Amino acid sequence: MMASIGLQLLMNNSFTIADPVPVASFEQLAVPLLPALLRHALWLTQNQAEAEDLAQESLSKALRAFGSFAPGTNFKAWIFRILRNTFLTTRTAIAATRTTFFEDSEEIETTAATDLTPEETLLQLDNAAAVQQALTQLPPPLRDCLLLCDVEDLKYKEIAGILDLPIGTVMSRISRARAALRAQLLPHFGGRQ
Amino acid sequence: MMSEHLQPGQIDAFADHELSPDQARAVQQHIGACHSCSLRVLSTIELKQATVEAGRHLEPSPAMLSRLASQLQQNTISKPRTDARPQPKRVLQFPRANVLWPALAAALLLVAVCLATWNVRRTHNALSAEVLDQHLATLSTAATPQVLSTDRHTVKPWFEGKLPFSFNLPEASALPPNTILKGADLTYLGGHSAALLLFTVGKHQVSVFVSDQSSPGTALSAARSGFSIRSTTAGELRLIAVGDVDPPQLDRLLALLASAQR
Repeated sequence: MMASIGLQLLMNNSFTIADPVPVASFEQLAVPLLPALLRHALWLTQNQAEAEDLAQESLSKALRAFGSFAPGTNFKAWIFRILRNTFLTTRTAIAATRTTFFEDSEEIETTAATDLTPEETLLQLDNAAAVQQALTQLPPPLRDCLLLCDVEDLKYKEIAGILDLPIGTVMSRISRARAALRAQLLPHFGGRQ
Repeated sequence: MMSEHLQPGQIDAFADHELSPDQARAVQQHIGACHSCSLRVLSTIELKQATVEAGRHLEPSPAMLSRLASQLQQNTISKPRTDARPQPKRVLQFPRANVLWPALAAALLLVAVCLATWNVRRTHNALSAEVLDQHLATLSTAATPQVLSTDRHTVKPWFEGKLPFSFNLPEASALPPNTILKGADLTYLGGHSAALLLFTVGKHQVSVFVSDQSSPGTALSAARSGFSIRSTTAGELRLIAVGDVDPPQLDRLLALLASAQR
């Protein structure tokens, strides 16, 4: 890509640029978020090449739509929403929509909370591979909410904006995701006791 | 103070810092008096920290980041903002090599600096959170130190064979006023084994982590949720103290422990 642009410039021996001042702030805001964007794209697609394409396309869209970004609001939440919406148009996401996800029953969390003694809720979490495996096995709608909350450190309200969900649904999914992680990790390690 | 047990949603919101100050205070009061709920809160905080670690195992490669940064640089050079007022475009004559490669080099340098800064900040945030979580766990009434002694000749030998390094403890009489060694735990910090020394300073609890993850120039100095976190190094050892005492008190304790390593 870089080489083709360079070749094009060589052939033209001139190029047209716009005033660089307006776009400088986009770069300043976006560059620190590149690792987080790519990481989340990797979680969404579970494929390196697809994740890179997704991140690139999202950045291009974000740059084009930068005028709609309200200064003073959370740029990370804004660009993650674009990433999410771009992902929904990909083949992977369209295929995933064929799987029905039963939304937001309250039963899972309350059952998980009452079946255990307090001591049993303390998990042995020092086996990172087991935790990663449990995270991978979560249903994607639950995992997406949990990753945005825990790994990306976004607020419930921002997650609701990114995923286009009511805030109550975000809270419910985070709670259910943690209950599901516990359920997967308890048989593996047993309680601490 | 609330009398009934906390609901799972309340615990999650507390762990995620989503409660209002009044709500958070009520939850803190409740878990101070309710063993069951304090364990559930602890479990949720630990699970959250484990999720952070697990969620970051899918780290993009430097090559991917570099390609994405280059692409971003190309896009920002060639595409104007859509909301920018129409401005007359200028056709500039540039010898390509004089402009493009320095620009790319500058962009890559900018990315490298940003990534380095971001990585240090992320590492510090993750370390601070892990240190604080472990300190909070020691505050639970159910948390008994693995070695319960005020005698350094009991605490230090207990770690022999458990840690890939050794450290010294000062005499009890040399500790700062009102500071008492309570005991110690074997723990893990950033995936590496570490000694967790438990002190009381007056009526406050202070945890000091001793590990061999010394990294000069990256001293930790943070305040999270009312707790101070300070660090120092002594040779190959890294000492991190956390507690709700004044930072100078933590510094004094760390300086004393560091001097004991010489």
